[in-house]
Amino acid sequence: MGRLPLAVGEPEPARLLLSLEGVAKEFPGVKALQGVSFDLRAGEVHAVCGENGAGKSTLMKIISGVYQRDAGEIVYKGQTVHFTSTLQSEAAGIAIIHQELNLVPHLSVAENIYLAREPRRGFLIDRRKLFADAKRCLDRLGVDIDPHAQVRTLSVAQCQMVEIAKALSLDASVLIMDEPTSSLTEQEAQLLFRVIRDLKAAGTGIVYISHRLDEMAEIVDRVTILRDGRYISTDDFSAITVDTIVARMVGRPLEEKFPAPTRQPTRDVLFSVSGLTRHGVFSDISFEIRRGEILGFAGLMGAGRTEVARAIFGADPFDAGTITLDGRTLSISDPRSAIEAGIAYLSEDRKGQGLAVKMPVDANLMMANMEAVASGAGVIDRERHRAASQRYVDLLSIKTPSLGQPVRLLSGGNQQKIIIGKWLFREPKIMFFDEPTRGIDVGAKFAIYQIMDELAARGIGIVLISSELPEILGLSDRVAVFHEGRITATLSTRETSQEDIMLYASGRSRHGE
Amino acid sequence: MADITSGKPQEPIQSRQTPPGRGLSDRQKDIIQKFAALGSLVILAAVFATTSSAFLTVNNGMTIALQVTSIALLGIGATYVIITGGIDLSVGSVLALAGVVAALAVRDLGTPIWLGMLIGILTGSACGLINAFVITRLKLPPFIATLGMMLIARGVALQITGARAVSGLGEAFGVLGNGSLFRIESIDDQGFPVVSFPGIPYPVVLMIVIAIAAGFLLNRTVLGRHIYAIGSNADAARLSGVNVTRVTAFTYLVSGTLAGLTGCVLMSRLVTAQPNEGVAYELDAIASAVIGGTSLIGGVGTISGTFIGAFVIGILRNGLNMNGVSAFIQQIIIGLVILVTVWIDQIRNRR
Ligand SMILES: Nc1ncnc2c1ncn2[C@@H]1O[C@H](COP(=O)(O)OP(=O)(O)OP(=O)(O)O)[C@@H](O)[C@H]1O
Ligand SMILES: [Mg+2]
Repeated sequence: MGRLPLAVGEPEPARLLLSLEGVAKEFPGVKALQGVSFDLRAGEVHAVCGENGAGKSTLMKIISGVYQRDAGEIVYKGQTVHFTSTLQSEAAGIAIIHQELNLVPHLSVAENIYLAREPRRGFLIDRRKLFADAKRCLDRLGVDIDPHAQVRTLSVAQCQMVEIAKALSLDASVLIMDEPTSSLTEQEAQLLFRVIRDLKAAGTGIVYISHRLDEMAEIVDRVTILRDGRYISTDDFSAITVDTIVARMVGRPLEEKFPAPTRQPTRDVLFSVSGLTRHGVFSDISFEIRRGEILGFAGLMGAGRTEVARAIFGADPFDAGTITLDGRTLSISDPRSAIEAGIAYLSEDRKGQGLAVKMPVDANLMMANMEAVASGAGVIDRERHRAASQRYVDLLSIKTPSLGQPVRLLSGGNQQKIIIGKWLFREPKIMFFDEPTRGIDVGAKFAIYQIMDELAARGIGIVLISSELPEILGLSDRVAVFHEGRITATLSTRETSQEDIMLYASGRSRHGE
Repeated sequence: MADITSGKPQEPIQSRQTPPGRGLSDRQKDIIQKFAALGSLVILAAVFATTSSAFLTVNNGMTIALQVTSIALLGIGATYVIITGGIDLSVGSVLALAGVVAALAVRDLGTPIWLGMLIGILTGSACGLINAFVITRLKLPPFIATLGMMLIARGVALQITGARAVSGLGEAFGVLGNGSLFRIESIDDQGFPVVSFPGIPYPVVLMIVIAIAAGFLLNRTVLGRHIYAIGSNADAARLSGVNVTRVTAFTYLVSGTLAGLTGCVLMSRLVTAQPNEGVAYELDAIASAVIGGTSLIGGVGTISGTFIGAFVIGILRNGLNMNGVSAFIQQIIIGLVILVTVWIDQIRNRR
């Protein structure tokens, strides 16, 4: 613990790019920031850590001119600045990758990257240069995405990569990344880190926000911690441990990352899928979930895990295969029939498929199970509606000024908790959690893990789709590893390792097997 | 996912122009907005009352209410449809078709009046169902689907009447449109009727009952919640188990049915069925919803707002008429009112 003073003789700190002093911001009913200080040097990666709703995104939006500060001072390259739009901050050399994706679905990747900055020839867009430049940008990241592809055809992870490419193409001197890796797998995150190292070497200052504290060691130089909108500390990353960061974020020490399991997996098959195929997407997917267990789905981006879950849930069609629950073969034609049969699917795409963001917190929590708070004739019982919503707000410690707050005004992590609450309220028999802890802080993650364990202990079958291998290893009893639309192995978590899983996920099987 | 028009991050755009107000909750703001709309209604009425002595009389009040009925009934349907993110351009034509079908049934088939009117209303429902089918099954955009219906329904109405008004319907056909509840009448010594209270016209009663029912459905029932959910995020609604097809279809059915009812009421008032009736009424309906705070992007809107919107349009028309403002100038003024109210609403929503 404790803060290390700068040791004597340490090299002089690099040029200061940005410094904030006493920044405050208030939204109706929420003091998002109070007296926050922060600074950024050229060539460093400065992480900002804090729980969901601590004010990280708000701080970044103030720096980039999305919001105006109520109080405080921002000095950028030696001058006090008052950006009133991202256009201004971009022009000044500050680029931001927002936590939420902001791409235009019907335009191509290249058009998105250069939106409003298209290379021109006279009045016309120079399409050849547009696509060539975009290709160069994507190559620099090392991702294999076709610049001609329409954004709506991309997965969430690919969209995230396009956002990153877009920010890189600005060649900014300050680059703010608000949870850039939340939907990326380890490999893809590595691609990003490589670029970050290049940028550092070139003297770019990078603000880095993430709830994946473990990955920070690779790139982060300093870390600032916020709690409840207040500034807590700033340290050299090398002088602080992850445990300390967590303790300061949460305000108390957190001993364990994963709860001790209370569930007891049985051999009793609750749910099984066999020969599930959708031509060109996945084929011959077979797995079973036993009562009381958590089954992990591991794999690289595009391995087909989400697609399989969506097909089982009736959100997408499939060509062949049978799905059995409790010994009964299900015929699922759409999400409604799947939900009725007792299946729930928590989408990885929060804003696109999970939430009605204009609607209030309570309406979203109740959305999948309105019948439970309404009379037989379909009239909503307001008291039950309120009580049930409040119960899930409390259970998941969702941070909101009221039940009537539109969901779009909540912080990213709290939005995610609402989706979880929505499905918990439905009390299904099988739950597919697709990246359930994306963007969720450590404390809340623990709570969600605990809930998953409790659900499994109550006999609910759980499938955990996650890009974070440690999460899969820490939580699941068995792991189905996906590679290019097939399950290449189903392993017992206790007898496997990260390396094993990676091997199967990359399509190579282990020697001698 | 993103702002289609500019592609810049959405939140920046929303929050750039106006600093968020401080100290007011969303709820308080909504209430203020409601009162603002109501307030402007009162101010309008007050201004007209001073400029024209005939404005503030029971009789004129009833006239306004009657004029507002059709806008309000169509506006309720429009509100449902627009909340889901759709639009219904066909209601003006559908009401004409429904009206002439009812009239033809009574005149040429000799059906009782109530049955004729029922057939008229169901004609509206049928048009709504066809819209719903084209939109939810054939997956045509609502704008196109209902534009097609707008032309088709008008064409059919003109065809089956030979483009002539259907008259000679008998006095009883006019009861729905001209009769009223609680009318107090006495016969004076000369044998002339004296009206001490004109009563509440049946159309007004209908409008109030339907508005209350429609508001209740939207606010307090699961179906209403699903209507909002679809407009707010259809994908999320579908993945939450909402029967998006059925609920969407329901809104077009309501819109068509209310158009059918409006058609019968209007034709009954004139005791003649005009195949050319109701041209451009869909625009009044949409305008009343929009003035009342319904968002054309979907997910937002209330019946009470639409009700106020319908009265704003009705009072403006009536008051301007009484002050002898020409029909052309009226159009200009109503156009401006729509622009200003929606602009104010947008500012309110940019937080
Ligand atoms: N536009 C807004 N209107 C009202 N409240 C807001 C708005 N934006 C943020 N808030 C509130 O301000 C607080 C801080 O939110 P912020 O998004 O900065 O959190 P965060 O630290 O980024 O959290 P997360 O890790 O979940 O992304 C939250 O309580 C949030 O609900
Ligand atoms: Mg955030």
